[in-house]
Amino acid sequence: MRAFLLACLAIVIVGTGGYFFVNAMQQPSGVAFTTDGARIDTNWAWRSTGTKEPITPSEECDVRKPWGWFFVDFGKPRGESAVCRISQ
Amino acid sequence: MAMVYARIRLVATAIALLVLAAVAPVAAQQPVNPTADAVKEQQLLQQFKRIQGLGTIPDIKSYTIEQPQGRQWEHYHEAVLPWIGTIAMLGMIVLLLIFFLVRGMVRIKAGRSGVNIVRFTALERSVHWMTATCFILMALTGLNITFGKVALLPLIGPSAFSKWSLAAKYAHNFLSFPFTLGVILIFCMWLAGNIPNRVDVEWLKRGGGIVSGDDPPAYRFNGGQKGVYWIVVLGGTLVAVSGYVLMFPFYGTTIAGMQLAQMVHGTVAVLFVAAMIAHVYIGTIGMQGAFEAMGEGTVDLNWAKQHHRLWLEEEQARVGPAELERQPSPTPATPTA
Repeated sequence: MRAFLLACLAIVIVGTGGYFFVNAMQQPSGVAFTTDGARIDTNWAWRSTGTKEPITPSEECDVRKPWGWFFVDFGKPRGESAVCRISQ
Repeated sequence: MAMVYARIRLVATAIALLVLAAVAPVAAQQPVNPTADAVKEQQLLQQFKRIQGLGTIPDIKSYTIEQPQGRQWEHYHEAVLPWIGTIAMLGMIVLLLIFFLVRGMVRIKAGRSGVNIVRFTALERSVHWMTATCFILMALTGLNITFGKVALLPLIGPSAFSKWSLAAKYAHNFLSFPFTLGVILIFCMWLAGNIPNRVDVEWLKRGGGIVSGDDPPAYRFNGGQKGVYWIVVLGGTLVAVSGYVLMFPFYGTTIAGMQLAQMVHGTVAVLFVAAMIAHVYIGTIGMQGAFEAMGEGTVDLNWAKQHHRLWLEEEQARVGPAELERQPSPTPATPTA
């Protein structure tokens, strides 16, 4: 009986270790099944230096003039999640 | 009259075959426009043997929806594997039942001596029970994948089956780690005693004495136990490696590699379960005094004399007969049968 209880304890310990190992190796499904090549964040695309926030939907759809691209901000937007940062 | 009918049937069959031979190639050569609005899945499969398209995401695997290898794999896990499992496991249970009814329990011929000797240490028993407990739980949760839809879903309903299957999947994944550790420890602990030798050949020739009633000599592990050892080590390695390939999708494998891993995992697992059913049988109701070896760690002296005579002689030479017989026995001596 003592050997069996010891075995159960070992199962719990090693199994818990396995849980943390798997979680460290595998990605959450929200990340694993997200493409890293075709994600477009419209807020990011239209965020320029000097542009007032928040950007309205109509502004997002405006065609940018060529000279306007000089002022595009390629930095990390405020409050952006880590997932978005990886994808860009 | 009968001859006339027979000839009519023969002529009709020949005409039917000729018509089929003429029509079939025409039907097969019908061109299929894969972009047509009304194109059907089966038409596409017949013409191109696969359904695939274009995508915009980098994962090009997702562009192929159906392919011949995928259908073969589906046939394997939906039809072939359940049959292999059913035949192996139910077959083993039926064989053991017949064997038990014919042969009955293998008893200690000289009766219990009242003196026990140590057969397995606490560490050995702990490792055994760790591996065995994981194996039983993983067998139940694994068989749920193959047989659950047929055997359990109609009994408990989709909601409960879904919850159980989710929990079973997690249990299966996380128990794999202590199971793998157990297989490695078993391999290391008992390797020295499980190298096959001439004594095992003789033991196997005499069928372990189970049928004939004589008791061929054996060291610590007899031919049958060595067979179980190698099934555990090799079978355990195969299910562990193929299981980890499935647990970490596309880490160095393709879809074909994962399908192969699943086929190896499923087939080896059901055969493993069948073999362990026999192991459990002989370790419990099949042989008097066998369970004590793993339960309490000791066996009766007469049991050891009967089944592992050479090992007993080694132990007596190592610690001395007087020392061996000092072991207290929880089971009282019984008169000679």
